[in-house]
Amino acid sequence: MQDSTQPWCEIDASASPATLTLHGHWRLANTEAIWRELRVLRLQLPLCINADNLQDFDSTGALMLLRALDQAGISSDDVQWRALDAQHRRILSGVQRRLPATRNPLDTQDRSGILGLFARVGENAAALGTLLLGHLNFLGATLAAAAHLIVQPRQLRGKELTVQFEQVCVSALPVVALVTLLIGITIAYLLGLQAEKYGANIFVVDGVGIGMTREFAPIIVATIVAGRSGAAFTAQLGAMRLTEEIDAIRTLGLAPMQVLVLPRVLALVVALPLLVFVGDVMGILGAMLIADPLLGLTPSTVIDRLHGSLDITHFWAGLVKAPVFALFIAVIGCRMGILVQRDTRAVGLATTSTVVQSIVSVILLDAAFAVVFQELGI
Amino acid sequence: MTPDAAPTTRDMPVVEVDNVVTRFGPQVVHDGVSFRIGRGTLTALIGGSGTGKSVLLREIIGLQRPTAGNIRVFGTDMWNAAEAQTAAVRRRFGMMFQDGALFSALTVAQNIRVPLLEHANIPGDLLHPLIELRLAQAGLTPDTGNKLPSQLSGGMRKRAAIARALALEPEILFLDEPTSGLDPATARSLDALVRSLVDDLGISVLVVTHDLDTLLTVVDRIIVLADGHVLADGPAAEVTAIDHPWIRSYFAIRTMTGTQSR
Repeated sequence: MQDSTQPWCEIDASASPATLTLHGHWRLANTEAIWRELRVLRLQLPLCINADNLQDFDSTGALMLLRALDQAGISSDDVQWRALDAQHRRILSGVQRRLPATRNPLDTQDRSGILGLFARVGENAAALGTLLLGHLNFLGATLAAAAHLIVQPRQLRGKELTVQFEQVCVSALPVVALVTLLIGITIAYLLGLQAEKYGANIFVVDGVGIGMTREFAPIIVATIVAGRSGAAFTAQLGAMRLTEEIDAIRTLGLAPMQVLVLPRVLALVVALPLLVFVGDVMGILGAMLIADPLLGLTPSTVIDRLHGSLDITHFWAGLVKAPVFALFIAVIGCRMGILVQRDTRAVGLATTSTVVQSIVSVILLDAAFAVVFQELGI
Repeated sequence: MTPDAAPTTRDMPVVEVDNVVTRFGPQVVHDGVSFRIGRGTLTALIGGSGTGKSVLLREIIGLQRPTAGNIRVFGTDMWNAAEAQTAAVRRRFGMMFQDGALFSALTVAQNIRVPLLEHANIPGDLLHPLIELRLAQAGLTPDTGNKLPSQLSGGMRKRAAIARALALEPEILFLDEPTSGLDPATARSLDALVRSLVDDLGISVLVVTHDLDTLLTVVDRIIVLADGHVLADGPAAEVTAIDHPWIRSYFAIRTMTGTQSR
């Protein structure tokens, strides 16, 4: 260890030739202090470097010395070296040998400016376009595979289908039931507060019945399923991509579309209408629960009113949307999983993207259905 | 002046493994393993599957606690010293994990920058040259620094992992299967790289490997683990000559064709 007053390097210009003397431990830990002294020295040829007091020398130390010489326009071959021990000489020549390769500097591409902003917007827009086109392609392939199944029903993977059905439908029942029950209670409560002012308590039943069956149950259940099963599809298939299982499936002469995608898509297409039906029932049940204490409508009154006022078309209008929502959620979930690259971050990113894309597509589809139903007068 | 990590005296061993016992439930992996590793040597740790080579490596670098026994790195007991002391030791060794364990969200250059920013005070205008030097020391060109680990081939990923392990000028480098999964040409160039690190920078290397070419060409000393003990310990020529069924079958192909020589 050297004491704090001694410099790391000093130059004696009066000597002939000028002598740069190095002191102490020229190691990574002391980089900052050494570089502060070294960079301000005025080095010029002829130069002698005295390493007599150099106690320790690592490649960072060598880099600093060579860089300082380089910046002064001095080649280390023209320098007289004094008392440089063999080990230190090896380190120095090792670093020197590798330096010419580092002439073209690291790329520090700047994407922060206004031009960078345009570039990023453009890149992302193009990437989104490619992604959506790919989804469309995948949707087509899925439907083609499903059509193929009609011709050759034996290709259906019954076991995988039932496993998936259990996961996306049966396991989802509690959360779907709870959420739609609470939504039913909330809607009945809010409608009831308004309707009570006009003495129109009974119309709360109409409102909840139509609202729940036609819009709320399908949208809310689809959102839950997108977050639950869509994300799960992406994570499962993404993990299988990482471990090369999907490649193995292909290599074994099986089609990932038949083995992995179709069972998931079919399971969800069947499951979502069932879950929406559960949502309808639970929503109305929730309304019934609160109608009695809040509005004085007994359960039997509510059911009578439902029979009289709730047109069955509302129920069907809600239910018919569910398989379409399911198709989109499942296709997005599966494709995002299959797209995963061999990179540990990718599964997380793809899962997030699946949920966002699924929910947005559900809302867009619902808007489209609203317009179509309107035109058809349903 | 910043306190320098005082270089230990030349003759002091870098790693001392003393009577280490490791048990997983009823299964005994190490039953009294002892060896020492000195400065500036390239040592290989070999043994059949399940003899606990990687476990021992993890115990040496302080990731997994041995059931009994002592492990000292630079004279510091890795499992009984204060956290501050073991943290100081950690800055003096580099570790290359089998699959690189590069941070996948960062480019190679950013991977190398992580330990430099965390533990060294590098002036801004020296940071890039230093990262480029590390890349060059691992045999990579500077433009590799801009790539993400997922864009690299297996061999380049191993080199990038070595570059990151070299970031803080370690005095000993631990390599877990550096040549596994590489083609022979790439594996040999990686061997040459490791050898040049030992010769040029004077650092010690402990390598866990199954690669016979590595063992017979670049390694100074081989430690053989079998049945929970150190079965053999010495230069390749000595170890291959030992008459033990496992060693004989391990080196059988090479000793038959007689290609074992430097």
